[in-house]
Order: sequence, then C-alpha cells, then structure tokens
Amino acid sequence: MLSTKGQVIERLLDGDFICRTTNEDGWRFLRIPANREQVDAYLGQLNRLVATIGTGPDSEVFFCGYRALGDAERKKISEQFRDICQALTPLVEWLVLVQDAAGQDAPLTEGMPIRLNELQTVIEDTPAFREQLSHLCSHRLFYSTSVDVDRQIKQVFSRLCDLRYLIRPNTEKQIYLATGKLDYLYEVIRFIDDAEGLNLEDQAESAVQGQLL
Amino acid sequence: MSDHLKEAGLRLLRGLARHAEPIMDAYLSGSIADQALEPGVRERLLKDGILYRPEPGADLHLRRAVRALLEEALRDDRNRRIDANTGSALASFKTLAEHYKEAHHQGDYAAAEAYLADLKEHVYAFGETLSHGIRVLWSRINNEFGYVGTLDAKIRENELAQSQVSALLAGLELVNFEVLAETAGDLRELRHLLVTNLQRTIGSCAQELSIVQGRLLELLGRFREIRGRTRLIKGWLLHLNQHPEYQVGPHAAGSAIPALFNRAAPALAPASLSLHDPTREAELLALLAKVRSLHPRESRAQALADAPALTLTVPDDFEVRSSAIRAAVDAYFCEVIDSGEPLSALDYRDRQSLSNDAESWLYQVLGGYEGLPEEQKRYFELETIGEVHPLYSGNFIIRDLRLWLA
Repeated sequence: MLSTKGQVIERLLDGDFICRTTNEDGWRFLRIPANREQVDAYLGQLNRLVATIGTGPDSEVFFCGYRALGDAERKKISEQFRDICQALTPLVEWLVLVQDAAGQDAPLTEGMPIRLNELQTVIEDTPAFREQLSHLCSHRLFYSTSVDVDRQIKQVFSRLCDLRYLIRPNTEKQIYLATGKLDYLYEVIRFIDDAEGLNLEDQAESAVQGQLL
Repeated sequence: MSDHLKEAGLRLLRGLARHAEPIMDAYLSGSIADQALEPGVRERLLKDGILYRPEPGADLHLRRAVRALLEEALRDDRNRRIDANTGSALASFKTLAEHYKEAHHQGDYAAAEAYLADLKEHVYAFGETLSHGIRVLWSRINNEFGYVGTLDAKIRENELAQSQVSALLAGLELVNFEVLAETAGDLRELRHLLVTNLQRTIGSCAQELSIVQGRLLELLGRFREIRGRTRLIKGWLLHLNQHPEYQVGPHAAGSAIPALFNRAAPALAPASLSLHDPTREAELLALLAKVRSLHPRESRAQALADAPALTLTVPDDFEVRSSAIRAAVDAYFCEVIDSGEPLSALDYRDRQSLSNDAESWLYQVLGGYEGLPEEQKRYFELETIGEVHPLYSGNFIIRDLRLWLA
C-alpha cells in the first residue's frame, strides 16, 4: 500500500484537487509545511509544484502546477483555461439553481451537502426551476436530451461527479458533497472579475436593489 | 430593618412563583394583554413592579430586571443587551470608598463595615456584569448568529456585537488604577478590593474580549466572503445576460501566467499489474474475482429422455450470405470491446468511411444489438441519441446511437 505521501503525490499528479472533503488525510498531511516541502521536492523532479488556493486556514485546497513554463506547458495551461471558461457559465447556472432551490443565502462551497431527493422535489414542483434545469441541460457540459426532470438531474449530477466538482460518499444514498474544486471555480471568476474590471458584485447588488424598488 | 426587607423580598419571590405562568407568557410573547389577567392579579403584579405599562392603552410588559433575570437564567439567545457603562460604576466605587474612609477615620467601625460590604457588592457586580457581557457575546459567536435567518442580518448582528466589544473595551480603558490606588490610600481592605481584585477581573476580561473581537472579525470576514460569492455568481449570469457576446479574455496566454491558472495536466498513465510478484498474490486473486467472465454458464448435464425414433431426411438447402454491413456492425462491436470507451455509431461510420447511408447503418446497429443473445446483450449498453418529434407525441427520432460496455 502507498503511504499518505505516496497517495498525495499520486492524486496531485493525476490532476486532482486535494481538499478536506475529498481526501482529509492527504489534506492534513499537506498542511504541515515540512510534508509539503517533501512533496514539492518530489514533484520538482517532474517540473511540478504544489499550488494552493483558499482564504481561511480550514479551506485550503491543493493542486499541482508547473514549476517552469515552456511552450508545451503553456499550451496545456491555455487548454485547461479554455476548458474551464467553457464550463464556467453552465456551472454558475447550476450553482445558482441549487442555491435558489434550497432557499439558502450561501452558495455551495466545499464540504456542503446536497440531498438530491429534496432538490429534485423542489425542482419538480416549481416550473421556473424546471425551466432552468432544462436550459442547463442544453449546455454541452451536461448535455442531456431527456425531457424528464429525474433523468436530467441525474445526468447533471453524474457529470459533476465525473468532473470532480462533487463526490458521493455513499453510493447507496443520494447525498452529494461539494469539493474544493468548486472553491477553485470561485477563485477563477473572482480573478476574471478583477482582471477585466467587470464589477460583478456591484452589478448583482444594484440588480437586487432595483428589484426591491 | 433587615427583617422587614427580607419579608418584602420573600413576598415578591412568592408572588413571582405564584404568577409564573402569566410572567412566562409575557416573556415569550413580549407583552400580555390586560384581559388575560384577573384584575386582582394584574394590580398585584403592577404594584410589585413585575409588569409595567409602557404607555397608556398599551399591553403590559415585563420589567427589564425580571426579563434580564430570565434571559440570564435561560441563556436566551435574544439577549443582546450588554451593559458597558463603566463610568458610573467607577463613580459609585469612588463615592463608597470615600464614605468608608470617612467612617473609618471617625472611628465609626460599624458604618465603615456596612460601606465596605456595599462597595464589595458593587465591585463584584461590576465584574459579574463584564463576564456576563462576554458570555453573551460568546454564545452568539458559538451559534454563528443562528437566531437570525439571512446572511445580511447576520452581518448586521456581527457589527452590533463588534460595537459592543469596542464599547466594553473603551469602558475598561476608563479604569485608571493610579486614581483607584490613590482613592484607596493606605487602607488594606480597600486596596485589596479596588486594586488587586479589580485588576485581576479587568485583566482577564480584556484578554477575553480581544479573543472575542478576533473571532467576530473572522466570522464577519466569512459572512462577507459568502455574500461576495453569491453576488459574484449572480453578477456573472447578469453580466452574460446583458452582454451575450462576452468572451473571457486570454488570461492564460500572455508571458506571465497567473499562479491560479498554472494547473499541471494529469500525468499518470494507467499502471499494469505485476504478475511476477508473489507477495501480491492475495490482491491479484481479489482482482481476478472481480473480473466478469464472459463464458456462458456451463449447461448442466441433463438426464436424457427416451430418444424418439431417429429418421434421416435430406436437409433443405440453405446458404449463409455474408453481408458487408453486418460485418461492419460486428467490427463496430469489437471496437467498443477493445477500447472500452463509449463510441458513437455515426462517428465510427465516419471514421471507417463506410459507404452505407446513416439511416440504414443505424438500423443495422440497432438490429445487431437487439439480435445479440441475452447473456451477451447484458455486457453492452446502447443509448439512443435524438429528440422527440416536435408535433406528434410518442415519436422519438433517433439521430445517433452510442454503445459502451456495461
């Protein structure tokens, strides 16, 4: 069997995000600076390093980046960037749908559970949410031709599990947990917002006030 | 005098006990209507100062002191009041200390004792009020302002708590030990009470308040981040609605790539088993057990019935014509088995540049799948990709097929 260090290196090299929800042992391991240096030294031989995002001490997410950037690496990075940009809008639509349907005022973040049965009941009972779900399914990311809410939502969730935005700790239960990759998504949007000066937060705020008036 | 006081206090407490029910009703709903009480009881409670009428014609409310007692005893979350009035407490310390000193100098020890006891009560109460305030703050922090619903309300509650902490800290700064030491003079008892005791209380409170302040800021930061994220994603959709042509800029292109986008591509190829490692035998066997065998179950030997009479006849001539399209379908199935990946039938046709037109190719694949024996069919999954007929319900138009291993 692999040691925790071995597992962490394997997950990182496989392109995974290591967060508290997906791999608590590995996450605790990487939070110790000495361990992180060891992993970093190992990955250095493969021109890689341990990168991290996260604001709080408990919400760190680790992933693997390149150490030196050559042409090949740049190409890979811009491919990945393009992928994530294409996925951005459908994922955001999904986040808003889940948040609205659950009636929460906090969006989904790492470690938060979704009970698919409850979500499905709410969506089935609300025409506006059903419409949003159908719209979601028209994106290539979730592509589903079914007109049935049950199949559409299962397709969306299974895609999200494939993409590792969600995990399903118990295959017999319809409970999903959000992973640290979602936090990465927020960071990407925030970066784009800052870099292009879109003022997304202000736009949302003024729209809410407009509705209230 | 004290007998009289005791008598009156007992009467008040008994009154509270006797009317516990209306008092709790008033506590829970905030007020109690006149009609809910019998006139005699109402008069009694009003006279004892348990209930009061805030304005003419209004319902009866609980007196602040009674409410505070209940909030404290029940550790009620709604208790937000924190008494930060250090100035008046300090002034009363000083006054009582002067009384005590005067009585002491005049040799009236009985009066001095009484003043000292009074002062003690005030100093202890001051410490108790402070620690109560801190306890209230902690209880609110610990359930993360769970008693209000929305995030904005939580942020407001947090800001209120922060202003209360600041007020408490500002109040503590008012305590000047030099002045207090001067007031106490060389009287040992007074010094002990006003300097040593107070210093200890204030030291521990100040320390705890700074921890509370840190936690409040942390919580506020988290609330703001959550709110920021909600606005971020809603703003994103809004922005896209207003600018349908919007494209994300090439942030990962230029010479300096932001660290955020520096994600390495997956670099692990699937590994194979080492069959020559005897220490791994148990794991290998476990893996082997999971591999599904494609061999049909052996037909059990059946007892032979009595054989019917055997007659030989000339069989009818027949010929198996091999058809190109059927062979292509078989090849398609084999390709799926080899790759193990889902494969679209039309993609396969295009890749192999088969001459059949799409419709008959799909028919043939469908037929090939349906024509498989049941035990082989179980190993495949066939998905029909297409759409429902826009006009006539119950009609499904198949545009493509996708086959993979189950």
